[in-house]
Amino acid sequence: MAKTILYVDDSTTMVMSVRSTLEMNGFKVETAGDGEAAYAKLKSGLKPDLIITDINMPKMNGIELIKQVKALPGFRFTPILTLTTEGSSDRRDEAKKLGATGWLVKPVAGPDLVKVIKQLLPGA
Amino acid sequence: MAIEFRKNLALFRDVVSVEEAEPLLEWLQKKPAGRVDLADCTHLHAANLQVLMAACASVKAWPKDPFFADWLRAALLRPH
Amino acid sequence: MTPLLEQFLSEARDFLQGIGEKLMQLEKAPADAELMTELFRFVHTLKGNSGLFDFPEMTRVLHAGEDLMDAVRQGRVAYSQELADRLLDAMDFIGMLCDEIELNGAIGSAYAAESARLGASLRQLISVPGTAVEGVPLAVPSSTEQPIPTPAALPPLETLPEVVRMAAFRLAHEGEPLHWLTYTPEEGCFFSGDDPFFQARQTPGVLWGGVVAREAWPKLLEVDAYRCILDFHLLTTASRADLDEYYRYMPEQIRRVAIPALALVQPQGDPNGGPVYEDFVVEALDTLGRGDNGSLAHAARTMLELSNPDLWLASALRWLLLLLELEPDNHAAQGVVIESLRNLETIDWLAVTAMAPSVEDEPCTAAETRMSPVEMSPEEMSPEEQASLAALVATQRAILGLPIEAAWQMGRVRAVISTLSGCLRACQREDEIAGLEAASAAALDDASAAPLLDWLDRHFSTESVAPAPAAPEHKATEAAPVVVLPAEDTKSAGEGEGDVKFGRRAEDAFSGPKSLKVEQAKIDLLMNLIGEIVVAKNALPYLAGRAETVFGVRELSREIKAQYAVINRIAEEMQDAIMQVRMMPVSFVFQRFPRLVRDISRKLGKEVKLVLEGEETEADKNIIESLGDPLVHIVRNSLDHGFELPEVRRAAGKPSEGTLTIRATQESDRVVIEIQDDGKGIDPEVVKRKAYEKGLIDETTLERLSDQEAVNLVFAAGFSTAEVISDLSGRGVGMDVVRTAIEKVNGAIALDSEKGRGTRIRLSLPLSMAVTNVMIIESDGQIFGLPMDNVVETVRVARTDIRTIKRSMATVLRGRIVPLKSLNKLLGLATPPIANDQDELAVLVVRLGEESVGLLVDDFRETVDIILKPMTGVLAGLGCYSGSALMGDGSVLMVLNVKELM
Repeated sequence: MAKTILYVDDSTTMVMSVRSTLEMNGFKVETAGDGEAAYAKLKSGLKPDLIITDINMPKMNGIELIKQVKALPGFRFTPILTLTTEGSSDRRDEAKKLGATGWLVKPVAGPDLVKVIKQLLPGA
Repeated sequence: MAIEFRKNLALFRDVVSVEEAEPLLEWLQKKPAGRVDLADCTHLHAANLQVLMAACASVKAWPKDPFFADWLRAALLRPH
Repeated sequence: MTPLLEQFLSEARDFLQGIGEKLMQLEKAPADAELMTELFRFVHTLKGNSGLFDFPEMTRVLHAGEDLMDAVRQGRVAYSQELADRLLDAMDFIGMLCDEIELNGAIGSAYAAESARLGASLRQLISVPGTAVEGVPLAVPSSTEQPIPTPAALPPLETLPEVVRMAAFRLAHEGEPLHWLTYTPEEGCFFSGDDPFFQARQTPGVLWGGVVAREAWPKLLEVDAYRCILDFHLLTTASRADLDEYYRYMPEQIRRVAIPALALVQPQGDPNGGPVYEDFVVEALDTLGRGDNGSLAHAARTMLELSNPDLWLASALRWLLLLLELEPDNHAAQGVVIESLRNLETIDWLAVTAMAPSVEDEPCTAAETRMSPVEMSPEEMSPEEQASLAALVATQRAILGLPIEAAWQMGRVRAVISTLSGCLRACQREDEIAGLEAASAAALDDASAAPLLDWLDRHFSTESVAPAPAAPEHKATEAAPVVVLPAEDTKSAGEGEGDVKFGRRAEDAFSGPKSLKVEQAKIDLLMNLIGEIVVAKNALPYLAGRAETVFGVRELSREIKAQYAVINRIAEEMQDAIMQVRMMPVSFVFQRFPRLVRDISRKLGKEVKLVLEGEETEADKNIIESLGDPLVHIVRNSLDHGFELPEVRRAAGKPSEGTLTIRATQESDRVVIEIQDDGKGIDPEVVKRKAYEKGLIDETTLERLSDQEAVNLVFAAGFSTAEVISDLSGRGVGMDVVRTAIEKVNGAIALDSEKGRGTRIRLSLPLSMAVTNVMIIESDGQIFGLPMDNVVETVRVARTDIRTIKRSMATVLRGRIVPLKSLNKLLGLATPPIANDQDELAVLVVRLGEESVGLLVDDFRETVDIILKPMTGVLAGLGCYSGSALMGDGSVLMVLNVKELM
């Protein structure tokens, strides 16, 4: 069973890059351009095994998204990784407090990304 | 569901997720003599592990993966 | 270029645009937190994207920009115009790099110095004195390590199976580090998506693992499955760095202790009633005292064969044999193992470590590094890290010491810079990066390594990176730990890889964006195709005509005409739709002005407020694009010559801040752009005198010219009122260039100005150039097209009404003299114009700037909409034609360029 990963980022470049990395490694990838769109997808029945989200996004940022997702029934245990640039350690700590599992630092190399995901998802 | 509950046996298959810890606990509460079969289990979430530990569940079959089995033996066979 | 790179560049340009706009808006509302956040997000995302590629010159500047914006956002640095200036400069540079990448696929080495300079200039703004707080890490220091394993800290290793410990002991002797790791997950960790059991199982290098509950289990009915009370204990061969990396999301939840190999040496098993091996012990110690390892091993083996393997004795003997094999000279340790047979107690290695010097390693040096807090970064470095750092720095020093003989060798210097900045980041000395970048810029500028060597001496004095007392048993480089015992463990990663499956994209319900970016060429193709349909459909009326006149079937002719009407309607709608695709808002051109006006007015010391109106007004892409340069020129002119300095304005009773309004409106099928300033206006007298001095007008004209006509002289070729050619608008280009550019796209330009009150320039342009309405005329048996925009009227003039004044013809139309010219003559044809039955000549009155001129032609025909195609190849040199079009009957229509013709 391929694991489904929801990737949320407002940068199409990042989405393109991460999507291809993950798909090459056998993951099923869903994407959203901001927190609001991601939240809508989750509400309408998407059940990813992992959510990876950017922090700085328009409409609904990653921090807010984490809050909302954690309050959503059925998502209390869903692992969430934030994908941020270095130097935003305060934001990622904030995210961690709100229930994010961990973080990745942009630019993230493909193998590192896959390594971290496999560390989180048994059977991936 | 990766756990199949039979009369007095819970069969674990593949990866047993965190969501299944609650039903497992309820089952063990109802059937204190229930046994678990882990032969086809490749991983179980820590929540399930602690439920098994708390219930002192007896294991009918250990996982095929010997290293995984070692972990579980160390956790479940330890007297407490 | 890869699609990813293309995407990056296109998105980067959008971000740069956005950054510029936000900065402009911030200028007006510097306290707007939302704007600030947006701005930060743009810079942040752009930097993140750039990191996907190897563009260090770009990433460096963006990184500095991001840090700066972050500081501003958090209120650590105040927003200032200076800051905006530097950031804008930096973004211009990024834009340049984008162009460079687009052109060459890479960034040339020439940009490195500028990149370093800009990065340093941005960082300079962050490093405000008194912000030393930054150095304090927000996160908890990685993990707690006992400096010296105290008895309490030594884990209960004896509870581990002997076979595991023996394997670990062997690994330790092969140079593997050994760590005992206690992982205490938070109670609520399941809700953070953690699975501590999986995390523990996957720990690199794990040799053995155990799980215990950290409190007594409650009754089963009271158990909370989701409150984690498990502790995990592991023995691993992973290095400290690998463990820290693996557990980086939960550094406060792990404790790791470096395990001296000897601590593993613990006999275990059935004591069998008590110490009864005294003889063996005495003999063994005696043999040991003689240093006769061979005899001791022999005796031990014999004894082992006689003993039940489950006995304490057997276990101790196995350890003794292992020690003899791996540490043959460590008689002290061997003695301790033999002694243990006497009391059958767990060996307290700490009490005897003085006799076993090889045990001590990591803890000692960790304690030592604490003693020099000044040199130390907040995060302590392990001895391995210190050694690596020292080695790295030494290598960089050596590289910098190499002579630089050719320009390309500066690449070495760049590599050094990037390595050093990486080192600083790695040891959390980010505050020193600005200094490094300054030194780098100097080095790159002088093409010399000296500034960097200086910097190195100041920041990495040899003492501060002196390698810690070497840990003899540890290899300096710890590659991936090799897991020996559980072979299954290493397999799992490989199996995961085997799972790779492709072609899942089809399953995704990927919701695409609502707008598309389409290549211009594709739209052009559509445009051409619809042009051909328009032409092809025009053949139908001919066909209908032939059906009736040649074949005599009126019915069919009517049907063809009806069908034509339908096709015609669809074609027109389609044409409209395609034109809509090409329509762009003028904001595309306007958006550059806030920045431009700001920069120039600041440079000139003028205060100018820019007002943009009607930015949503749309026109064809080509029109919008052709508008760019002329508008910039007009605006520059206005800023340069139009607006007065604030004090002059105040003296004249005007507000010190001038207003520049750029307004776009649509008037029927034209888009009108007005550029209005409330500056000093144009003095007609000055213009007249200038024009006269430059020989553009003669004395009589000078007298005759009205003020309005005079100010329009600025459009004359070779006219420039600037006293000094200014850096900004001068450059020898005058308003005549603007006029030419506007007229090229069938636009018109008009200027009115009032001295002391300001100037208004009005540009009027067609909404679209794609379709041109032309009038067809006949001359010398040929047909020609003339754009309807030029046509004033068509009249028939009796030959008798044509006068000849000084060999040029003219006639009077409604009281005005209109000069007449023969089209044939202008085209170099000898044939005279043909008159009609009443001896009247066909005169097409055309507009030529402010004047009207009559063209003598043979006959007028209908007006048609055509798709004008510019002349190509050799024909492009024929100025008298603006292009050609294909007619419904397949013939080619040449369209005249009236202005060039005259």
